[in-house]
Amino acid sequence: MRDQIIEILEDINPDADYETCTTLIDDRYLDSLSMVSLVAELEDTFDITIPAVEVTANNFNSVDAITKLVERLVEEDED
Amino acid sequence: MKSYFVLIFVAVFMPVAMLAYSIVPKRLRGYVLLVFSYAFLMIMSGRPVVYLVAATLITYVTGLTMGHFQARRDAQLAEVKKGKKAIKEACKRTNRWVMVAGILLNLGMLFALNYLGFFAQVGSGLLSLFGIDKTFEPPLWIAPMGISFYTLMAVSYLVDVYRETVKPDRNLGRLALYLSFFPHIMEGPIARYSEIAQGTWEGNPINRQNLYTGFMRIAVGFAKKLIVADRLNLFVDPVFDDFSLVNGGIIALAAVLYTIQLYCDFSGCMDVAIGLGCIFNVSYPENFRQPFFSLTTSEFWQRWHITLGSWFKDYVYYPVSLSKRVKRLTTMARKRFGNKYGPLLVSSIALFCVWFLNGLWHGAGSQYLFFGMYYFVLIWLGGLIDPLARSLATKYGIDRDSKPYRLMRRVRTLLFVFVGELFFRANDLPSGLAMFKRIFTHFSLETILNGKIFNIGMDPADFIIAGIFIALVFARDYAYEHDHNLLAMISGKNAVIRWAAWIAIVMAVVIFGAYGHGYIPVDPMYAQF
Repeated sequence: MRDQIIEILEDINPDADYETCTTLIDDRYLDSLSMVSLVAELEDTFDITIPAVEVTANNFNSVDAITKLVERLVEEDED
Repeated sequence: MKSYFVLIFVAVFMPVAMLAYSIVPKRLRGYVLLVFSYAFLMIMSGRPVVYLVAATLITYVTGLTMGHFQARRDAQLAEVKKGKKAIKEACKRTNRWVMVAGILLNLGMLFALNYLGFFAQVGSGLLSLFGIDKTFEPPLWIAPMGISFYTLMAVSYLVDVYRETVKPDRNLGRLALYLSFFPHIMEGPIARYSEIAQGTWEGNPINRQNLYTGFMRIAVGFAKKLIVADRLNLFVDPVFDDFSLVNGGIIALAAVLYTIQLYCDFSGCMDVAIGLGCIFNVSYPENFRQPFFSLTTSEFWQRWHITLGSWFKDYVYYPVSLSKRVKRLTTMARKRFGNKYGPLLVSSIALFCVWFLNGLWHGAGSQYLFFGMYYFVLIWLGGLIDPLARSLATKYGIDRDSKPYRLMRRVRTLLFVFVGELFFRANDLPSGLAMFKRIFTHFSLETILNGKIFNIGMDPADFIIAGIFIALVFARDYAYEHDHNLLAMISGKNAVIRWAAWIAIVMAVVIFGAYGHGYIPVDPMYAQF
């Protein structure tokens, strides 16, 4: 899952080092326009729904945080 | 008393508030701040605060109602093993209506008080297009001070309660203080409930470190406002009021100086608000982060009036762009236009909503709507062009991180900002368009070169003082941009150096402040919005 997420991110903005970066939102690697692309890609790839309330810096500042969010939403969907 | 920038606020209101706060028991300190906040608003606006009381009660009751349904849902969930999803959905549906009712009541008051006149005018204009001569004359209500700010804060609280990121507040006093606390009631920052509500109500004692940091921040705010902003106003006002009398060079200079004036005025007010908050142990979010170092207009708006931008992002942009209908459109657009341009095309719907509302929030005037649309187009085009610029740079081996390239992007962004502010400050849209045109059709540097520029409002001494302090403001921003927190550095020194630095700033304000004979007091610019 993590690798798939990195692939999606690199397609949206190749400028960041996604393995190490923990400030994707704070340092504007992901702006609000690219967030819409990212959410659409994640929803399609993992068959989840990401509500607006989940689109926060905490959930999107690093690949690990995004992975955690996706894992949680996949689990919630299975419930 | 019309703002923080008067002697009576600094010499009487502030010390009395601090004294009263300090001498009462901790549990009563929130109430003291509440009393002073309402007193501040009543003194400032000169009228009762009935609308704020109404907004507070509406927000309080709406929050509690949502809390009631959430508690009932939790009780039901504890009893069942199956059908949990349906229970959750039902609660969400009910609360959505409750939230919408609360928001509409709050926005209804804002609309009635701020925008009725403007829309009556628009309505009459539209009818006249069809040959119907009908003039609407809405009652002349005067919008109470701070309504644009506390309404947004109330809406954010209601949405957060609906989303269950904050718990509904049972303490009416705390919620009332969150909406009305006197440091932010005039111009923001538009703080979230989760950021300040607890801090304002807790009543922690004023300590020496916070006192110094707060006083320092307030002094810096006074310097920006009284030395720079109010001085530049002497030049900016006459040029914008009688632009047909001056040449294009002067108009261009006035647009630049107005941008600096607005920055020093608004960020100066924020320094005072954040400083006041600091004294009372309230951590406000920053509202400016060196905006003139932005590489793009989109980035500029992440650094300028940050709390308004993030409010629109969280409560308009994402809810619209991630709503079910818009998501369906995104899926279709991605299939047709690809993963990059598809979402971009669809997110323009949300972006349009944001910038239309942003323009409208600033005022009921055609120039503000134009200002909003101007940034909508710039930011949307920026999103469209950026991938292209990126691939062109790669193709031709241009280093996008090189200093000259970054400088070029910064200068370009500044030019866009200056043009935007010209329209924003113009008396109306036709004046803004005429001024913009005049920059090119009547461009001349003659007034500047022959010294007649000094007849417009600022004499040579004013230009020199403004120049020096603008340089200091930008030097401070430059230091912050490069991670040198000057305030923290000074705070770390011994008491003599710390207070000497504070006294130096206060003395500079006393000596060089644009107040008294020959100067006109200027109300904080964002207080009118």
